[in-house]
Amino acid sequence: MLSPLGLILIKDEDAMSSEIVKAEDIEKSFGGIKVLDRVSMAVSAGEICCLAGENGCGKSTLIKVISGVYPHDGGRIELNGREYQRLGPIDSIREGIQVIYQDFSLFPNLTVAENLALNDQVESGRSLVSWGRVRRIARESLAMIGIDMDIDKTVGELPVSSKQLVAIARAVYCNARLIIMDEPTTTLTQKEIESLFSLIRGLREKGISTLFVSHKIREMLDITEKITIMRNGRVVVSGYTRDFDEIKITQAMTGREISGDRFRWSGNTGEPPLLRTEKLGRSGAFQGIDLTLRRGEIVGVTGLLGSGRTELALALFGKGPSDEGRIFRNDREIVIKSIQDAIANGIAYVPEDRLTEGLFLEQSIERNLFANIYRKFINSVGLLDFRKVRAAASEKARQYGVTAPDISLPVRSLSGGNQQRVVLARWMSTGADVLILNGPTVGVDVGSKFEIHKKLREITESGVGILIFSDDIQELIMNCNRIMIIHKGSFTNEFRSDTLRESDLIDCLNASR
Amino acid sequence: MRRRFVFFGALVCLFVLFGFAACGLAAEKKYKIATVVKVDGIAWFDRMRIGVDEYAKETGHDLWMVGPAKTDAAEQVQIIEDLIAQGVDALCIVPFSVEALEPVLKKARDAGIVVICHEASTQENVDLIIEAFDNYAYGANIMKDLGANMGGKGGYICTVGSLTSKSQNEWIDGAIAYQKENFPDMYEVTPRIETYDDATVDYQKIKEALVAHSDLKGICGGPMPTSAGAGLAIEERGLQGKVFFTGTGLPSIAGQYLKSGAIQTIQFWDPATAGKVMNKIAIAFLDGKRDEIKDGANLGFTGFESVKQDPEKKNLFYGAGWVVVTKENADEYDF
Amino acid sequence: MNKILSKNEFWLFCILLILSCIVGGINDAFWSGTNLFSLFKSSVVMGIFALGVLIVILSGGIDISFPAFAVFSFYITVKYLLYIKFTGSILIPFAMAMAIGVALGLMNAFIISTFKLNPLIVTLGTGSAVTGFLRAFVGTGTLSNLPQPLIDFSRWNIYTETLADGSVIGFSGSFLILAALIVIMALILRNTTMGRGVYALGCDSVAAMRAGFPVRGIYYFIYGLVGALAGIAGIVHCSLIRLANPRDLEGTELEVIAAVVLGGASLTGGRGTVLGTVLGVFLIVLIKGSLILVGIPSDWQKVAIGLVLISATSITAYRAMRAGM
Repeated sequence: MLSPLGLILIKDEDAMSSEIVKAEDIEKSFGGIKVLDRVSMAVSAGEICCLAGENGCGKSTLIKVISGVYPHDGGRIELNGREYQRLGPIDSIREGIQVIYQDFSLFPNLTVAENLALNDQVESGRSLVSWGRVRRIARESLAMIGIDMDIDKTVGELPVSSKQLVAIARAVYCNARLIIMDEPTTTLTQKEIESLFSLIRGLREKGISTLFVSHKIREMLDITEKITIMRNGRVVVSGYTRDFDEIKITQAMTGREISGDRFRWSGNTGEPPLLRTEKLGRSGAFQGIDLTLRRGEIVGVTGLLGSGRTELALALFGKGPSDEGRIFRNDREIVIKSIQDAIANGIAYVPEDRLTEGLFLEQSIERNLFANIYRKFINSVGLLDFRKVRAAASEKARQYGVTAPDISLPVRSLSGGNQQRVVLARWMSTGADVLILNGPTVGVDVGSKFEIHKKLREITESGVGILIFSDDIQELIMNCNRIMIIHKGSFTNEFRSDTLRESDLIDCLNASR
Repeated sequence: MRRRFVFFGALVCLFVLFGFAACGLAAEKKYKIATVVKVDGIAWFDRMRIGVDEYAKETGHDLWMVGPAKTDAAEQVQIIEDLIAQGVDALCIVPFSVEALEPVLKKARDAGIVVICHEASTQENVDLIIEAFDNYAYGANIMKDLGANMGGKGGYICTVGSLTSKSQNEWIDGAIAYQKENFPDMYEVTPRIETYDDATVDYQKIKEALVAHSDLKGICGGPMPTSAGAGLAIEERGLQGKVFFTGTGLPSIAGQYLKSGAIQTIQFWDPATAGKVMNKIAIAFLDGKRDEIKDGANLGFTGFESVKQDPEKKNLFYGAGWVVVTKENADEYDF
Repeated sequence: MNKILSKNEFWLFCILLILSCIVGGINDAFWSGTNLFSLFKSSVVMGIFALGVLIVILSGGIDISFPAFAVFSFYITVKYLLYIKFTGSILIPFAMAMAIGVALGLMNAFIISTFKLNPLIVTLGTGSAVTGFLRAFVGTGTLSNLPQPLIDFSRWNIYTETLADGSVIGFSGSFLILAALIVIMALILRNTTMGRGVYALGCDSVAAMRAGFPVRGIYYFIYGLVGALAGIAGIVHCSLIRLANPRDLEGTELEVIAAVVLGGASLTGGRGTVLGTVLGVFLIVLIKGSLILVGIPSDWQKVAIGLVLISATSITAYRAMRAGM
């Protein structure tokens, strides 16, 4: 059998300049609602492109049309120069289009080897499995993308970044000419993102194109050559990446001006700080942490993965509490040994993975808003006053800009940004004045991100102090008045963000690496 | 005044006349008697229907049997309600649930319907309860045969379908009491075994007991499936003549093992006879001969030659209505 | 070595061994051929059922209709064979029961895959409907005069021995059927695309579809296979007990599912092995078949079974948790 790689190279000689995907005036409606309105885009061989847009702009639908999952209602689709009236998933795969969804479509219970060989196994129509062949295919496909890993491990045991590599290797082995990646960087660390990008560049050398579907603008600027931006089912702008900058993209995506102001703190350093730690430590995680948070401040904490960043955040909230040092609230010493202690002391925490840690997905928005404080709505006979709850919930939802048709809907039905706002609203309703946020805008689109940041700034006006633990440097610089760098469990630097340049912070982080 | 007296007298005469006429008619009248069983369509009650139908032919009365399609107390109640509405003369009932039937049976009796029950010694709203036998006596009879086969020596086990089944546990109590009194050299090797009325469980438990107790020589079976399970276990291990079985069983299930000599005797009561006895008592009640049903009365059927009255509950009577089947007479029963 | 230690099967095997030693220590009759042969024989029917349940559970589904299908298959087969006074090869009743089982299984597959219904509800319904149909239209009586080939099958031993007291013990040939099915199932699950498809489907049906598996076809394969196994188990069951009782096997589904789960299969699908399932079955058969040997009175037997099951599951689950699965 001819190696798939060889096949691609042969093809490329005559198809190098041609377009792998050419979609013109694609229309698609669901139940009378136009989701794609005369959308056009093209990807040529050896290109790295980006399809950007906020949640619900139609970019996922467009991908599904191109990969043959949804039939298009109008317009033309050409794959490798061949026009398809009705494109099916099999046609799309045969034309070398491989989609790597956010969940990777891997089988966590099967080994790496089998995951890599499964598509070929099914496609080749073999009814018996030769395990020797499976292993050979696995090794070959990993070799194609220049990666080495234990092919006998079950995929469920792998970290996310390795799962992604398996998915890419599988796509490449299936003679991919175009790999479409849906939000590939969401769950990766900075370092992992960099190695992913170098891998993608390597694929380009081999003539394999990549189309990113993403709303992470900065990353897209780094790697892509062409950008297509969608909004409300239409392509707003499309062109070479070199002609774009961040602000331009953001405007195109959101359709509004996003403020570029940095957050400034104008409080009084003479007051006793809201929260202060003295030589706080937890064995094996962090040590000697002196942290001060004053009324109305937003303090950022950043560091590489494994620097003790998350552990510190959790310790302040009583989860995996500190075992040395002292904590003060308004100069009064307090003890935080459990989450209950933290809540009792007016500390609120918004977790990184709000989906599993912070929200009851199947429960209504209303219930989620008040999960912590139902006590407050108990009436004179000791029962919950549901009318009061409802009214208060509606008010809260409005205050925090949660856009939902009905607050009795489950939280699952909300977008990422709205979910995050529900968590915020809930915590603020406990009356906390120290708010700890861990990765507050992970997986949130630009518009919502902006809304959340605006909200955070608003909250500080009432005297609340906020701690943001994040690796989104841009976010920290724009929204914090001070930024602490944590490395190997200790603070190594402190920056005042009003004078800070982004590159300084990155250099500092890299220096500690 | 006189006129009124005459009118009144005529009315009385009329009533008396009608009364006589009614009595005269009754002598030739066909009684309508329904037998209502727990569930229709299983072999046991199919056999009872045969008895009821036979007795209807013999007596010329209108006798028939009905029952719900599935074992369900509510359905049985519904059937009885319908029969009351139809105006039957008597009801012979094998209750699924004694408690559930009390109200509807009270209603039937209030409507003047005679109510006879079977397999329901605790029923309250009833004219008479006739049981095939006293449970303790039934168990004693099993042990009588088993002890004789074992030569009065050795260990044995007893099985029950469920530890909560009242009648089966009473059988076993009766059997053990009989053994203690009459076969002092016999002993129970392990407390009674629960087999869930499932022949497979019987088979496996008996095999296990044979392994665990090498001195095991006898099996006293409470539930029906034990006869098949024990037969199979004994035959398979070639233990004929070394291990003996006596207990409840039907020829249709255990016949093959009786014939092969794996088991010696099975014991049961004939539902056909029970059906006939119930209907006979009902007719006696309707004929106004209720006094004839008393302690020691002969009801004219095998096992019911001398019924015994319960000393406390005066309307409860027992027969000795069990049938013992061996290799020789197994072919006489086709159920 | 570490790899072996992290395997659920290894720990199950240890539990099985320890339990055997405990029972054998209390009553050394446990180690007698009589008892061991009997335990093997007891595991045949449950083992065959368990193989079927394993494949359904692997696919992320569940089946509780198989006892009903087994009864339906063997009862109709026996009734028909008695009617034609059958005396031919034993393969015929097996083939008949299997065919009936497959037909019923495909009905499950059709309903589940066409209407996208929850298999629990579907199989609850079909199982109950099939039982009702059997009792209403075919018969309710226990058939005890089985056709001769079936009786011969129940007497088939691959090894017999006459003990000192003149009694006979034999290793039932029916165990060969279970052994063969174990090998076949292991091969199907490990070495066929269909088998791997079952794992894939149980893990993520959308991903399985994206990988190109004919998902509908896999459903038909799975439930058809379960039906076939139910048919085989049914005919083996009625032959071994020498009765065709339409009320038999009711309630066995939970016990079989328990054995499969005990064997390490995940009820959410995608995880489980044939070896684990077989060990799970042996464990349950061992527990249930040793209570009299150990001398536990009837009143306490259910308590004992429950306790052993819970501790066995806890041990393996705890192991899995520690292994970070």
